[in-house]
Amino acid sequence: MKRTCTVCIALVALLSLVSLPLFSQGTADQAKASGPTTIELWYGAAITEAGPPPADWVGFQIIKDKLNIELKLTALPSNESDQDVKVQAAAAANNLPDLFMVRRDVLTRLVPQGLVAPVDDLYEKMPIRTAKHYDEVSRSHARFNGKTYGLADPGSITKNEGLLVRKDWLDKLGLAVPKTTDELLAVMRAFTFDDPDGNGKHDTYGYGAFQEINNYEAWPGRRLEPIFGAFGVDGTWNMTASNAGLNILKPEFFDAMSLLKQMADEGIIDPNWLAYKKDDFRAAWKQGRFGIMREQNAAFAATANYAPFDKNFPDGEWIIIDPPTGPKGHASIGPYTAGFRIYAISAKAVKEGKKDKIAELLEWMASDEGYYLLGWGVEGVNYTKDANGIPVAANLPNPDLAFSAPGGQTVTQLRNMVFYNGDIELYARYPKYITATSKKEMSALDVLRVMQTKKWTPAVGSDTLPIPNADLKRFYEQGLSEFITGKRSLTRENWNKWIDEFKRLGGQDWNDKGVAFAKENNLLN
Amino acid sequence: MVQKSGTKQLMREIKRHRSVYVLLAVPFVYYIIFKYIPIFNGQIAFKDYMALDGVLGSSWIGFEHFRTFINSYYFVELLRNTLMYSFGKLVFSLPLAIILAIAIYESNRPHLRKIVQTLAYLPHFLSWVIMYGILLALLAPGDGILNDIIKMFGGKPIDFLTNTDAFPWIVILSDAWKEMGWSAIIFIAALMGIDPSLFEAALVEGANSWQRVRYITLPSIRPVILIVVLLRLGTILDAGFNQIFMLYSTPVLSVADIIDTWVYRQGLLEFQFGLATAVGLFKGVIGMFLILGSNRLVKRFGGNPLF
Repeated sequence: MKRTCTVCIALVALLSLVSLPLFSQGTADQAKASGPTTIELWYGAAITEAGPPPADWVGFQIIKDKLNIELKLTALPSNESDQDVKVQAAAAANNLPDLFMVRRDVLTRLVPQGLVAPVDDLYEKMPIRTAKHYDEVSRSHARFNGKTYGLADPGSITKNEGLLVRKDWLDKLGLAVPKTTDELLAVMRAFTFDDPDGNGKHDTYGYGAFQEINNYEAWPGRRLEPIFGAFGVDGTWNMTASNAGLNILKPEFFDAMSLLKQMADEGIIDPNWLAYKKDDFRAAWKQGRFGIMREQNAAFAATANYAPFDKNFPDGEWIIIDPPTGPKGHASIGPYTAGFRIYAISAKAVKEGKKDKIAELLEWMASDEGYYLLGWGVEGVNYTKDANGIPVAANLPNPDLAFSAPGGQTVTQLRNMVFYNGDIELYARYPKYITATSKKEMSALDVLRVMQTKKWTPAVGSDTLPIPNADLKRFYEQGLSEFITGKRSLTRENWNKWIDEFKRLGGQDWNDKGVAFAKENNLLN
Repeated sequence: MVQKSGTKQLMREIKRHRSVYVLLAVPFVYYIIFKYIPIFNGQIAFKDYMALDGVLGSSWIGFEHFRTFINSYYFVELLRNTLMYSFGKLVFSLPLAIILAIAIYESNRPHLRKIVQTLAYLPHFLSWVIMYGILLALLAPGDGILNDIIKMFGGKPIDFLTNTDAFPWIVILSDAWKEMGWSAIIFIAALMGIDPSLFEAALVEGANSWQRVRYITLPSIRPVILIVVLLRLGTILDAGFNQIFMLYSTPVLSVADIIDTWVYRQGLLEFQFGLATAVGLFKGVIGMFLILGSNRLVKRFGGNPLF
């Protein structure tokens, strides 16, 4: 019996070894004879709550007939971390798709592995697309050691956020629009303690936020940048030639932290802010929990997003205000960069001879036919054009199939691959509308235009600077949050000690590398 | 000759009970594909893994990944947090599951028993994403139900989810709440196997409920409790990634970061699969030694060992 067991174990081990190439080395190269070239595309969905394009989507057939390409689509997860894990897991198995959307941080790890191909030669093969999508800033966004490893398409619109305040609350309490940090604090206190909604309960707060961080807007992140902007330390990096470096190392950062600590201690920032996720935050302002926030134009003013607030508070009104000015005259909504979505081509696809076909596909997407088909669907089915030639969801035989309706949204899932934030897109995406309850005229585009006029900090390229390792990142974020929650006492002495430890752990090195990179790539203002 | 007849006998047994062996085939194949074959890939724990070179082609770097993990700035804290949550869950959840199982078993109201059983199982089927939403509604400092009650009695709200003193309790207790009912199943099954004549005899002898539990129920299910504890020891360095990942935030990292969340950030997000594998191997080896050691202890003290 013992021997039988030994034989069985040996057999299992042998089977494991024999089967290994199947499981550990990815799929074998595709055998290609004739017929259409298969291109596997992992895309970022334009509307994450809607499904993928249906199997009978007309686009598949057009692409097959005109380009001889069999397009296989896979939507990436909507959460960025999940996207990264999916792409990196495929990369680890050398099984990346032919064409895929990827964040720059991940690309920095794939390039040294030799898993993605340079794309410098593609620009001249795609003249229409290159003219609309790729300028020098875009090309340098994904450049490593002199070669560009990803097609950086225009991403989110820059400066599309603003500092908003409840005007109806200001009016009710007889307050003026705050212009300085002191005035902002006074308004926050009034919103918290003077019952601005008049319901007799202590259930409102001054400021609302949540922790939304990325590599150029480090902790506490985007939602609190107007506070840090008042001290000239908004964003991870200072991108001025005279004072370049990590903002956390600037003396003014301590002052900004002190103000945030004061907001937390006085209870004038929604105390849930450290526990909120994005959806909780957005539900909270729609329920009237706070009266000041930094929010994105469409998340605030697009039809579906504004509707719950409109229903809950028909007399409610948010206005976009200037960022508050700090003691030394600084003011900023936050740092802005040129937003990009990178599409990379796997080295495997190039090896299989698919590079030119990918260029053909992308160029066709940028043509009028591809642009309207991917952007809005089929004319007469998913959209019509108004007198100005703008696609609109009107006069359709089946309104459920309109590009903005649930039935039609699926056919526009690839629109981020063709949109470049041109006027047609903006007018179509953000039409004027009348709100259902209060009958106000709203337009996310008008909101955007106002937001863009406010004071921002130029930080183009700051999202390409080196990123810290996970331990240093944790030290940074945990330390700052502990100063705010009171676990660490926020005194000059403690702060300096903590900064020294941060530098010792690699913070100084991170700062020096970042400054050197910014200088080398002419990113400083 | 003896061996040959043994093999023949085994084949005969397989043929005779072929339906059972067919059923066994599915988990057997599952284990081979998903548990045994990947062991071979475990060698990347000792390699500078490059995807293009593959598992076999990547160069050997010895114990470098293990050194990176052990020399990590947060190693001691990670190990402490991981063990704190693992043992905390064992100490709290296991007795609660046993108490629940005994209570359900002892109940002589079948309807109430079924309702309690169903309500106790239910949270097990909720994902931690949903549990987080429920916990936020209960515990948020601004408008959580619990804080509303505290405020009603004149107290100061507690930021349970972002306070380093409260957070470990939230993790342990929410896990107990979620898993207690499910964990009780195995004990209920063990209770069902107790000879009813023992209880009848105890009743005749005048034993009260507590005495029946103490002298019959608990000793009867002791072997099952030991096996459950032994199996839990094998995964002692798995403190519940999904739960912590959903609940933690930067202010509580000092008490929330566990080995698995560190591996997620440092290994998976930073594309260091060799490092992630090394930590997995480290956890597995520790777990194996714990199982072997505790199994030997159980043997020495006359209990029913796992093997």
